[in-house]
Amino acid sequence: MTPEPTPTAPPAPAPHRHAETKHGGTKHGDAKHSEIKHAETKHSSAKHGGTVPPAVVHHEPSPPWKLAALAALAATALALGIWSLLNVDPERIGGTGLIEALPPAFFVALALSLTGFVATLNLRRHTPALLAGQVLVMVVILHSADPIIHGLPRLEASYRHLGIADHIAKSGQLDPNLDAYFNWPGFFDFLGLVSGATGVKDLIGVATWAPLGINLLLLAPLLALATRITSQPRQAWAGVWIFFLTSWVGQDYLSPQAYAFLLLVTLLACVLSAFSGWAWPTGTNRFTASLARGVSKLDPTVPHQGMASPPPADAAVLVVVCAGFLVAMTASHQLTPFAVIPILAVFLLSGRLRLPFLPLLAVALPLAWLVFVASAYFEGHLSQLFGSFGDVQANTLGAVTQRVSGSDSHVLVVYIRLAEVAFVWILAALGAFMAHRRRTAWLTAALGAVAPLALIPGQPYGGELLLRLYMFSLPFAACLAVLTLIPDRNGTPGWRRALALLLLGSVLATATVVTRYGNDSMEKFTQDEVSLVNRLYATAPNGSILIEAIRNTPWQFQKYAEYDYRALLAAQPRTNPDPLTCDASNRIAQRSGAYLIVTTSQKRAADLLGTTPPGDLDHFIATCGTSPGWSKVFENAGGVVFHIKGAGNGI
Amino acid sequence: MAFDQKYASYAVAAVAVAAIPLSFVGPEGLRLVVIGLFLLAGPGTALVMLLRFGSPDQVEKHSTLPLAIAIAVASSLALSTIVATAMVFARMWSPPVAVLLLSLITLGLLALGAKRSREALVGA
Repeated sequence: MTPEPTPTAPPAPAPHRHAETKHGGTKHGDAKHSEIKHAETKHSSAKHGGTVPPAVVHHEPSPPWKLAALAALAATALALGIWSLLNVDPERIGGTGLIEALPPAFFVALALSLTGFVATLNLRRHTPALLAGQVLVMVVILHSADPIIHGLPRLEASYRHLGIADHIAKSGQLDPNLDAYFNWPGFFDFLGLVSGATGVKDLIGVATWAPLGINLLLLAPLLALATRITSQPRQAWAGVWIFFLTSWVGQDYLSPQAYAFLLLVTLLACVLSAFSGWAWPTGTNRFTASLARGVSKLDPTVPHQGMASPPPADAAVLVVVCAGFLVAMTASHQLTPFAVIPILAVFLLSGRLRLPFLPLLAVALPLAWLVFVASAYFEGHLSQLFGSFGDVQANTLGAVTQRVSGSDSHVLVVYIRLAEVAFVWILAALGAFMAHRRRTAWLTAALGAVAPLALIPGQPYGGELLLRLYMFSLPFAACLAVLTLIPDRNGTPGWRRALALLLLGSVLATATVVTRYGNDSMEKFTQDEVSLVNRLYATAPNGSILIEAIRNTPWQFQKYAEYDYRALLAAQPRTNPDPLTCDASNRIAQRSGAYLIVTTSQKRAADLLGTTPPGDLDHFIATCGTSPGWSKVFENAGGVVFHIKGAGNGI
Repeated sequence: MAFDQKYASYAVAAVAVAAIPLSFVGPEGLRLVVIGLFLLAGPGTALVMLLRFGSPDQVEKHSTLPLAIAIAVASSLALSTIVATAMVFARMWSPPVAVLLLSLITLGLLALGAKRSREALVGA
């Protein structure tokens, strides 16, 4: 047995040291402010036993056999997890998604991985390298199922994104009138740069492995952020662990939102680390004094882990870096820059950000971009952008209600998603409440979790706003959730709490297997479908109209601007859906002809979401395929392509 | 730590220099690995090595490592994005020139970092 850790004298009083760098200590001569700070420090650390300054805690090293056993456990979990995923039969993936096809070995691997993390967290000596290994193993098992099983990018949007990057790489041109993507092209410009500079014309491999890559890249910024908003490293690691266990929204594909989210988390970690503190002297007037008192009353601590304030020259460089993050984010994604605004605003108002111009810059950049750069989109979509402004019910309950429909199995998946979100939020609220009672750090995380909700009155963002808000708030909510189980002082959580954490992790991981991969039957694509699309591209002359029956086809990954792409129906739930008729396709093809593609994934999407009556696409093919002017061009296991003759030159 | 930093600087400089010819010509796989790695972390790593995060004590160094990695990656991605976007809007699209520009920025930051380290040693 290793002895109990022995704290030695702390090197410096840490609470409020960031606030002191600009306005405190000898630099700031405000007596009232000093009084407030003095009172806070006394209040927090002495009277209420609040967060203890960061004592340098020396632990005996863990026995090598223990470390080796935990490393072996992680390696076993990794090998078993990958092996089990390689043995999944994709044909068994049904209405509730991947969980129907997963072998028991996958769950054993997941359990081993969770156990390994909790046991590592419970070692007497904090072991970051081993914790990182355990989290990475869990990320591979939980978030790389699609690339391992299917070997192709998931979601039809992945293929579209490749096409836009391909278009930019080849031409170096934007076509802002083609679609919204070209009005926020930053991420695609970057992909075009990668493609153009490496000579790799086909980035489909990058898109396939993007979910794993993006989650791995998120580990460092999430940990840096968690370190700033919790009281001790084990809480931070557990918060990151909970984040990955509950990150089911599936936005981690090769997408502008995944890229912008990475920048967002890094930006927030950076400002909380380097620029924490009040932006103004807190004793100069009644408002600032009462604001400081209110914040101090709610949470008398300032999380002290992480970076001390940098020297002035370095701070200036970091300000430029933060501005660069905002610029890159603004150029790449419509929504994320607007999510930054409320978060920075609440940090400013709670003494967690001492750069008042940063929130202003965060407001100015996306608005200026919308007006000056994305003007083509802005002018053409004013009603879409502002039509539902202030309609909170439509943007929340309306969007949720719209999603709770489709096949019975899909509705079950949606309900589990709602339950998981509610569970995380309840845990976060409980964690915030308990931390407030314990007088430990919670306010920064709570503010960060709640601030994105300010976007709700804006617009429904195509019905996806709530999903995105969950994603933006999750890094903070996850850190609050762990406060229910991980103690505030440095040291092991103890076996009771560790077991509770393991139980919690098991419940969340199992739920996430359902919620993350619940749409897998329609989000996965097969090589046959991609081959079908390639044959279509080889056959259809440039300028042709290409029609998909349901908007769920792995295409547009090349020749993005060369064809006129159309869809008969969006892949969305519809109440009492009408069957598809030949008329809609015939109307589109009336003038110059068209090619129509119907794929297996389209059929799955239609059945899963209830876009058409069950089995309607097969009926559509059987009836329309034999009608005058329709001819089957080719067919394989992935679907069928028809040519519909037009009245004109009949291409 | 200074020893580690010196060799890390050499590695970043080597990748930055190698990326320049590879952006014009070379085996596809090698170009993807070297240039991909460079665009993912090159300029940002040089920037992070220039900065001084907190106090030099070992405990603080460990706790700032995730932040340093995060800034290295995010600033590399952001800088690459800004350069590529500026080229598209300026109608001067040329990926090899973008890589050249980013390599020069990286090497410049490394040189500044080396100068700063030397000055710190002299000051000590």
